[in-house]
Amino acid sequence: MANHVTEWLGAYHDGELRGARLRQIEGHLAECATCQAELDGIRNLSALLQDTASNRDFLLTERFVANLALSMPRGSKLPQPRNVLNIGWWLIPVGLLGIWLFINITLSLSSVVTLAADTGLLGGNLAWLQGNPLQMKWIATVMNLFGNQLGALGRETLSALNDANLFIVQLAGRLIPQAILAVSYLGWLLSWWLRHQPQPSQSVGSFSQS
Amino acid sequence: MVIPNAETEAALIAKAQNGNRNAYGELVRHHHPGVIKVIYRMCGDVELAQDAAQDAFIRAWLHLPTFRPGTSLRNWLYRIAINASLDVLRRDTKTADTDFESLSMPDPQAGPEAALLQKERTVAVQQAILALTEASRSVLVLREYGGLTYHEIAVALDIPLGTVMSRLNYARHQLKQSLQPYFIQMEIENG
Repeated sequence: MANHVTEWLGAYHDGELRGARLRQIEGHLAECATCQAELDGIRNLSALLQDTASNRDFLLTERFVANLALSMPRGSKLPQPRNVLNIGWWLIPVGLLGIWLFINITLSLSSVVTLAADTGLLGGNLAWLQGNPLQMKWIATVMNLFGNQLGALGRETLSALNDANLFIVQLAGRLIPQAILAVSYLGWLLSWWLRHQPQPSQSVGSFSQS
Repeated sequence: MVIPNAETEAALIAKAQNGNRNAYGELVRHHHPGVIKVIYRMCGDVELAQDAAQDAFIRAWLHLPTFRPGTSLRNWLYRIAINASLDVLRRDTKTADTDFESLSMPDPQAGPEAALLQKERTVAVQQAILALTEASRSVLVLREYGGLTYHEIAVALDIPLGTVMSRLNYARHQLKQSLQPYFIQMEIENG
């Protein structure tokens, strides 16, 4: 009979197969004398290994424990390097939250101060902040080259484009750091979740079917 | 010494992780027979096995704070035991020959001829195991003498499940070839 299943016989003998793979091997063994003989060989080997299980005279457990106690390093409490790692692990989300708070407070304060300067609420104290209207580099170049040839409509269009461009740049400047923080935090959460997943008991059969 | 349940073992582990030597002693009492069996099969020599066992339990004591509660202490100890065995074998250049004379009489009820055959078989098996590569031997010993499942072996040795199976298949294939005469002998004895 073709398609022998010899590579699965050890796992079958050890009771490691489940589901479809188990049924496949059982079905094959019922019809294939070669694989049945191979399985008998594995059983005989296992019996031989157990039959010759160690009959050496080792130290009795009590005596071993007593000897071990004398050899064990002294010290009331062992160093616990994991504690340091654990503290570092829990500091990650705290640090991310701190950075997020810092960025948002800074941006909010910046907006308030800029608004106050633009509306003149703080008098002349912040006049240095007002200066010229912000311009993108490209619009400055266009204005320098073609400013005289453009009509009022052209200049207004360029000005609107400049405002839109500035808005996008500022928005990106605010969103990108926050997006990085959010992704980092989600990554930490995922890692935490993975660490606390119970180990599923796999069988060779089940993994082999995937 | 029998530890009644996993909860008790967990309590002992927690105490031992805080430096309680008595609690660790209880854990050693419980796991020593299994560990020494695995180590002996890895080393093939009583003296080396005793050294490796002591080394393994001291290492386990030193690294106990890194042990993750909720996982199997036995599997963790077996992993340390395998590494300690390999280290002892590398350190000690003496070949781990199986000492025929030091074997105790396997079965006092059996006749002298049967006992002699049994001894001879025991030596042959141990030599065949020692002839395996370290990687295959570790997997075979943990399966046949440690009683670990494939998944437990994979975790203990930090290797994929498929590698466990292939190494075990290889080890069994090698042993079947080298121990072929003894299968026939066993069949004759068993009628």
